[in-house]
Amino acid sequence: MNIITEHIIVKEEELNLTNQRAVYYDRLRALILSDVHIGKTAHFRRHGIPVPDHILQKDLERLKFLIEYFKVKTVYVVGDLFHAETNSNMKTFKMWLSQFKDLKMILIKGNHDRQSPHLTENLNIKVEPSLQLGPFNLIHEPVEKPSKLFTVSGHTHPGVIIKGRGKQKLKLPCYQLTSHQLILPAFSLFTGLNTRTMPKDAKCFGFTETSIFKI
Amino acid sequence: MSSFKESEGLRIVNTWMAEKGQAPFQFQMQTWQRHGNGYSGMVVAPTGFGKTFSVFLAVVIDYLNHPEKYKKGLKLLWISPLRSLAKDLAKAMTEAIDEIGLDWSVQVRNGDTPTAKRRRQERLMPDVLLTTPETMHLLFSQKKNSRWFKALKCVAIDEWHELLGNKRGVLTELAISQLRHYSPRLQIWGITATIGNLQEAKDVLLPYSDLKITQITAKQKKKLDIISVLPDEIEVLPWAGHLGAKMADKILPIIAANTTTLIFTNTRGQAELWYQVLLNAQPDLAGLLAIHHGSIDKKLRNWIEDNIASGYLKAVVCTSSLDLGVDFKPVDCVIQIGSVKGIARFMQRAGRSGHSPFERSKIYFVPTHSLELVEVSALKKAVKDKQMESRDPMVLTFDVLVQFMVTLAVGEGFKADALFHRIRQVHAFQYITSDDWQWCLHFITKGGKTLHSYEEFHKVILDEGDIYRVKSRRISMLHRMNIGAIVSEAHMMVKFFSGGYIGMIEEFFISKLKPGDSFILAGRVLELVQIKDMTVLVKRSKAKKAVSPSWLGGRLPLTSNLSHYLRLQLSHALEPGRLEKELRFLNPLVSRQEAHSHIPKADEFLVELIETRDGHHLFMYPFEGRLVHEVFSALMAYRISKIKPMTFTIAMNDYGFELLSDQTIPVDESNIKTLLSETHLMDDVIASINASEMASRKFRDIAVIAGLVVQSQPGTRKNNKSLQSSSGLIFRVLEDYEPDNLLLRQAYTEVFNQQLEEARLQQAFQRISKSKIVVKSAKSFTPLSFPLKVDSLRGTMSNESLDKRIQRIKAQSFKID
Repeated sequence: MNIITEHIIVKEEELNLTNQRAVYYDRLRALILSDVHIGKTAHFRRHGIPVPDHILQKDLERLKFLIEYFKVKTVYVVGDLFHAETNSNMKTFKMWLSQFKDLKMILIKGNHDRQSPHLTENLNIKVEPSLQLGPFNLIHEPVEKPSKLFTVSGHTHPGVIIKGRGKQKLKLPCYQLTSHQLILPAFSLFTGLNTRTMPKDAKCFGFTETSIFKI
Repeated sequence: MSSFKESEGLRIVNTWMAEKGQAPFQFQMQTWQRHGNGYSGMVVAPTGFGKTFSVFLAVVIDYLNHPEKYKKGLKLLWISPLRSLAKDLAKAMTEAIDEIGLDWSVQVRNGDTPTAKRRRQERLMPDVLLTTPETMHLLFSQKKNSRWFKALKCVAIDEWHELLGNKRGVLTELAISQLRHYSPRLQIWGITATIGNLQEAKDVLLPYSDLKITQITAKQKKKLDIISVLPDEIEVLPWAGHLGAKMADKILPIIAANTTTLIFTNTRGQAELWYQVLLNAQPDLAGLLAIHHGSIDKKLRNWIEDNIASGYLKAVVCTSSLDLGVDFKPVDCVIQIGSVKGIARFMQRAGRSGHSPFERSKIYFVPTHSLELVEVSALKKAVKDKQMESRDPMVLTFDVLVQFMVTLAVGEGFKADALFHRIRQVHAFQYITSDDWQWCLHFITKGGKTLHSYEEFHKVILDEGDIYRVKSRRISMLHRMNIGAIVSEAHMMVKFFSGGYIGMIEEFFISKLKPGDSFILAGRVLELVQIKDMTVLVKRSKAKKAVSPSWLGGRLPLTSNLSHYLRLQLSHALEPGRLEKELRFLNPLVSRQEAHSHIPKADEFLVELIETRDGHHLFMYPFEGRLVHEVFSALMAYRISKIKPMTFTIAMNDYGFELLSDQTIPVDESNIKTLLSETHLMDDVIASINASEMASRKFRDIAVIAGLVVQSQPGTRKNNKSLQSSSGLIFRVLEDYEPDNLLLRQAYTEVFNQQLEEARLQQAFQRISKSKIVVKSAKSFTPLSFPLKVDSLRGTMSNESLDKRIQRIKAQSFKID
């Protein structure tokens, strides 16, 4: 797996946008990501739609790689860590989580995170409705109007279409950056791309398996 | 046989007809007699000659002759592809029954039937039930459904040619098999219009060796007048595009001169446009002109259909929604706007006018761009030669099979061996192997090979007595919502803010609009207020300008029969015959093409190279229909990029295709022969197409039919949001983890059979290899190339890596969408 990063300076803090769908905040040794949707594959199966767990495994492997690569101390998930009801995927996740001795995980509650509080207690994950981290306000849904703090959110699964001469078109996942907020791509690969919700004046950072670049 | 001729039943029906001043046609008499003798079969007859009464009265006569053989409940099941047919048929049948003096009840059951009525039918089935293939499968998904069909004597499949060749045909085949299971002595009758492969159509419908089978063909022929509507001068026609708005002045006098006119367009978007154009041109048509298409609310559609039948409406702008069977007596004229894509389809639309047996059908053809005049000329010749297209039946459609298996499991449950035995008799599955069958069983019980270890997957379970059943109510409900083989784009309901439905619109179209924007639907200008629960809330708009919606579906490719005639007519367009008025009219345009480039003769193949601001264009004109061009163009892109790696965007229509690149395309007379050579054709095709991408597109429908993707229901509050995923996602997962999944395999098979049309492609290359290839360079777009620039579908083909492409686009400066 290739981790390629793009450095940006926001509010005098350095953030590393990676092409693996997570932001690394070096000063705090923190990883910020969004929309992991654990439990989605089992939720589908419960409703008679056969989807294997390999997708979840791949997502977790990628997260592990990122954590080890950057020697991360804290993981902030800005919403939708889980998908639906508590199901067998949570067991897999718990097993996976137990391999990290000193890792802290904090969840900013998203619209999908409606499971009983026992689940997060049991996993030793702290849950917050929103959270101030340095100059940033972590929250699940992007804000419509500029707020006092710079917000970091997810929720929309942003994607971007780029066009070239000869009517070429490409669709890629991306980060969206404006003067007052950063919107993260969905971490899970079992999610779609949304190219419709682009905030005004947003700069996009699209990425592929081997690159990340400003559009 | 004399006993039948003297039978009481026949006498009663003959008397009834005579009272109406009619006598049975010979094919009707034949059908009655054969049915009386226990035959099943297929009736081939043009519309408007009482084909309905051939089979329907056959059952009535048999009942009158042998009432003791019939029990209480359902006697005749009438399956037809279109809902809109059912209502009128039921009316005609009820009328006949009342006048003959039977106490039968005739009822309709389909998606539009209210719940209360459906419950009533479930308590007591009518004697005759008119329904659709989908509703049949919904009935099979009910508990204890077999009791309704035990007394069934006859099933009729109306408009069989419309079902054959698609997955609804397979649904029908399976429904017949299931009905035979419930009522083993069932007689089966198909009714079809003339198509190219009648024998096959019969074999698909009636594969059962224990049946006595016959085919009855009506001798009656419909007289047909084809009149092309020409503009005053050739410049009036835009070279391409949807609208020949100025042609409205030519259409209005035709409407005025006839009692009722049906105006057919090819897409719903065009129907909306033409409705506006005609109203603007003659405002006093308001109230006399209506618009009818599949996305308009059914109440409104019913109202329109009633008013066509009563002769109140002067004209209706419509799409294929009015293609089929309904008897609109007052309709005496049909106008076709734009290409009709196939000979059979053209005949069928023409047949909507002059519906009664001895009238002539009259069809006006209004071209939307100049080249379509060549098409009329081709159509005239093809109709004269009676060259109808074939409809190829689909086989081994595992998506439909697994859906059917779950349907039965939701209903009464099934035993594996017995069902397998029955399935193998159905034409679509005669080559299914035991392994395939085991896979299907595995798929519905465990979710496929790789999923065996997941305990939460319980779709179908093996219950006591070795019966496969669905026990979960939620899964039953999800499945019932998903029954059918028509996969549509995600639709949203359009509703006035103050209440009242207007119709349906595709989600992708509405997603491009913002609140306050105006669009046109059902001939009304509407302003978007908000979107809520899969419903679009609107109010009336005062805006003069508004966007017409576009619907993704409904673009049919030109059939190979018609394209053959098209090439023929174009090749001698420079010297048209005395009576070929379309070609004579087109002469200035054809001459221009000849002057700037070339008109390909029957033994020539034209290649054009044009450079414009957009980049470098390469045009080729095989005239083989859009689907073949899709493959053809990808193949050319592949062969050219072997000379020099490059990225193309590809555009195609029914006449030809365009490769567009930002770099010079290395094609000239020295290498064109090699590029178009027949050698390694299929190898290169497979290397050139992104088979996985094409299969992924085909997989969309398969995933929905097989229940891998849950469709959101328009207008419902509960849209199963947590179960939303795209078929593309599931396709990739299966490719990675279960490559031998039968549904994946089916997607690839469908690509090769339907998309690649291998046979047709081979023929095209053989023809081209024998042709003289003419390469022309032009400074600007030519009459042949222009339509491709403006009115076509686009795709991309590249053999450069993703990152390389991004690099190059970057160098040209990004544009963000």
